[in-house]
Amino acid sequence: MRSMKLKIVFIVCIPVLAFGLSLVAGPKMINPFSADDISREILFSIRAPRSLVALLMGMALGASGAVLQGILKNPLADPYILGISSGASLAAALGIMAGAVFLGTFTIPLLAFIGALITGSIVGIMGWKRGGLWPERLLLAGVGLSFLFSALLMLFMSISNDEGLRKAMLWIFGDLSMSEWSKIPYGVIFVGIGVLMSLSRAKALNALILGDEFAHSLGFSPHKERFILFVAVGLLTAASVSLGGMIGFIGLLVPHIIRFFIGSDSRLLIPCSALIGGALLCVADIISKSVLPPMELPAGIVTAIIGSPYFLYLLRRKNVLSI
Amino acid sequence: MEEGEDEVKQGAILGTARPGDFLFLKGAMVSISGPGKKRFTRLIAFFPLTITVFVSLFGVSFAEIPKRIISLAPNVTEILFALGAEDRVIAVSSFCDYPEGTKLKPTVGGMSNPSLEAVVSLNPDIVLFSIDGNPKAFEERLRSMNVRTFTLRSRRITELPAGIRQVGAAVGAPDKAEALARETEKKISALEERERTIRKPQSAAQRQKVLFIIWPEPLIVAGPGSIADDALQMIGVLNISGNTVSSYPKYSIEEIIRQAPDTIFIGKGTGMDKVADGLLKRLKSVPAVRNRRVFYVSDYLYRLGPRTMQGVEELERLLR
Repeated sequence: MRSMKLKIVFIVCIPVLAFGLSLVAGPKMINPFSADDISREILFSIRAPRSLVALLMGMALGASGAVLQGILKNPLADPYILGISSGASLAAALGIMAGAVFLGTFTIPLLAFIGALITGSIVGIMGWKRGGLWPERLLLAGVGLSFLFSALLMLFMSISNDEGLRKAMLWIFGDLSMSEWSKIPYGVIFVGIGVLMSLSRAKALNALILGDEFAHSLGFSPHKERFILFVAVGLLTAASVSLGGMIGFIGLLVPHIIRFFIGSDSRLLIPCSALIGGALLCVADIISKSVLPPMELPAGIVTAIIGSPYFLYLLRRKNVLSI
Repeated sequence: MEEGEDEVKQGAILGTARPGDFLFLKGAMVSISGPGKKRFTRLIAFFPLTITVFVSLFGVSFAEIPKRIISLAPNVTEILFALGAEDRVIAVSSFCDYPEGTKLKPTVGGMSNPSLEAVVSLNPDIVLFSIDGNPKAFEERLRSMNVRTFTLRSRRITELPAGIRQVGAAVGAPDKAEALARETEKKISALEERERTIRKPQSAAQRQKVLFIIWPEPLIVAGPGSIADDALQMIGVLNISGNTVSSYPKYSIEEIIRQAPDTIFIGKGTGMDKVADGLLKRLKSVPAVRNRRVFYVSDYLYRLGPRTMQGVEELERLLR
């Protein structure tokens, strides 16, 4: 029990350290205590909002991955498997093609958010049968929609001669450089609601993983709990896609890494996945900015390159047969 | 005497040359018959030779001038139109949008995904490609079907005149190509001359620092090897993103603030002003933004073609 507490303290500290490091480190180091005007501006209006967005996005992905793997009872589930990200990018592309620039820099995130929510609702409707959501139906509906929307997106991209559309769609492959303070309140609200909703149903999720009948016998209504958790996942994924596009690895593998360390009790798994997801994205973003300055690499590449070998190492090392 | 000697040499090797090579000779003759009495007498001297050559190869050469041309790259299409080959262009790619006449031409697909069937069914005499943007496998496929192809390999502004001459030779318009190439060369050397005389005294540190934005969100700028970088070097200013590893790198915003460019150019695109507003707001402390030296410029520098030099001159004018 003592060692568990230690682990949790450790997991809480990591994102704080990562955030601090992300302010100091970058293409050039900045000493926050002796910064000149330019450095101070970079610190407050470029680095701080960007790192906060990275934290929020990573938290949303980690938490929603942990929840989704539970409600779908599938270790391969990640937040993008439900087609929510394809729906978001399709909505953004359609909006750009229709000439929607009404909100300036807010246009694309807003379109993506709406697209993600609509897609989430369609998946929910498709997965609904006999008074509730069924894991397999949700999963297959998500995969099906995901194919459909990606195909439509490819169709529009290949018939469009608008070079601007192609460039404007680059963000979907994970881009944190557009982060600014004005987007953070929305991020905090949606990610906060999503994480709190998941946490409040964490006990029910534990029961659901063991089977609907078991959950029922413990006094949970499986369909109701699954629905609430599904809405939370939808909100979290929609928020993360509209904050910075798609970033792989975190939603799929961070929950597994956490399971190696603290087990699969959702009450701990969800918050720890969120914290480590946020920290990982924050660190990945520092690296993506710093390896080839002044160029930036997509942060999603870095998360996978530093995360996957570690995951494979754990997979060999830890004595766990099924995940 | 140099040109005369060339003529003799070309005449001498004509026996072994392929008939198509005669096109080059025709170009050479026209340049000889240009201004100047001396040249004229030289032409008289070689008149018997030229006339024999001309008559003996007349029919062949005309059969070799491609009458059905397909261009799969926008910059090649622009060059073809500038060379007056418009009527012989039977189809273009869907990206070819300049000059106006291109809109009347049928299209055979995009740049990276042209339709092989559409191209072949039009029975072209020659298909023209650009080194970037067109798939090499597509060209090889056409070649294996015995369709003549030509690939424009120029990437830099200094390679443009040579590229224009090659296109002219490929489609049988060498004289017009020569004129256009000379005009381009003249503009390049005029700019270089101006830089030598006016700006050279300045050291690198004194040069104006400039950033050329291709797309604001995500931020993509003109790096080394891009046409815009060539243009900035040509007019003697310092491209702050000229030292990256990619031609069109995704650039760090904090690095722009640190480098503090004096002038920012933004290439025009769809809804560009609205999108760029967000970026400029975050760059408000940069001298270029503070002193209102942010200019939206034409898209001439996105293509290596007849309008490229206009794009360079536009930047030069704005910086003056």
